[in-house]
Amino acid sequence: MRRTNVPAVPNPSSIAMMRLCATRAVSRAVLAVAIAGAALPLAAFAESTASPPGAEEYIIWPPDGAVIHGGKLWVRMGLRNMGVCPKGIVFPNTGHHHLLIDTDLPALDQEIPSDRNHLHFGAGETDARIELPPGKHTLQLILGDHNHVPHTPPVYSKKITITVQKD
Amino acid sequence: MYKLIAVAALVVSAIGGAADFAAAAGAPSPHGAYAYIGYPNDGQVVPANKPFRVWFGLRYMGVAPKGVKYPNTGHHHLLIDTDLPPLDQEIPSDRNHLHFGAGETETTIQLPPGKHTLQLLMGDDMHVPHSPPVYSKKITVIAR
Repeated sequence: MRRTNVPAVPNPSSIAMMRLCATRAVSRAVLAVAIAGAALPLAAFAESTASPPGAEEYIIWPPDGAVIHGGKLWVRMGLRNMGVCPKGIVFPNTGHHHLLIDTDLPALDQEIPSDRNHLHFGAGETDARIELPPGKHTLQLILGDHNHVPHTPPVYSKKITITVQKD
Repeated sequence: MYKLIAVAALVVSAIGGAADFAAAAGAPSPHGAYAYIGYPNDGQVVPANKPFRVWFGLRYMGVAPKGVKYPNTGHHHLLIDTDLPPLDQEIPSDRNHLHFGAGETETTIQLPPGKHTLQLLMGDDMHVPHSPPVYSKKITVIAR
């Protein structure tokens, strides 16, 4: 697991991926400008991957309402009727976990942001080590496809609330 | 005397070399990686002949479906009522060795009444255990 704490810095490969996507977005924008006035501006929509029926993502641990002493915890990420696969690899009925901390669901038709509120587990991790300051926090999982875009229909967990207490 | 030490050193290095060769069959696993069964617990009573869920846990490593080459990943294999297979070969695929090549991280199984053992073993893109191998503690459940 590359991320031991709540990371502020995305790893080099996610930066590369972001650059790649930025480039793609620019070329799409150019295309959109080229056809502006004649067609609908569809450029903002990323292509997304289908999720299988019955797919369900959930937080195995901690439970909703848990009180965590000290603030360091492992979040165990659960997935049903679907599999885990690292980013960048196209494999049917798979995706990789993203842990949303203290934030709502992002736009479901775009790449999931990568920052300290949106942790990517692009190496296929299923357990996440995080550290949170004292107070109330929300946790939610959303699955992203090989391009970090939510599936259609999107696969995400219930949002839970935990409380971190000082040791 | 020196000759004896030299011969001993040669023998040791030859054995070491052979061990390295055998262990080199699987993809390398990252330092500290381990698998664990999140549920059921060791010694737990589960309903006999009824499906129950088994959670696959993995730390300091990731999951990737079979055939996918990606550093520090593998896929889960659930061993039921059997010991670890040879660690330098493809993991068998039968009712005692269940493969989860689609990247699954949990499953449901059902067992006849009695004592049963469960253990997880990671396999690489070719279903061969990593080097060093990544496997869980073997637990016992009682189906009743």
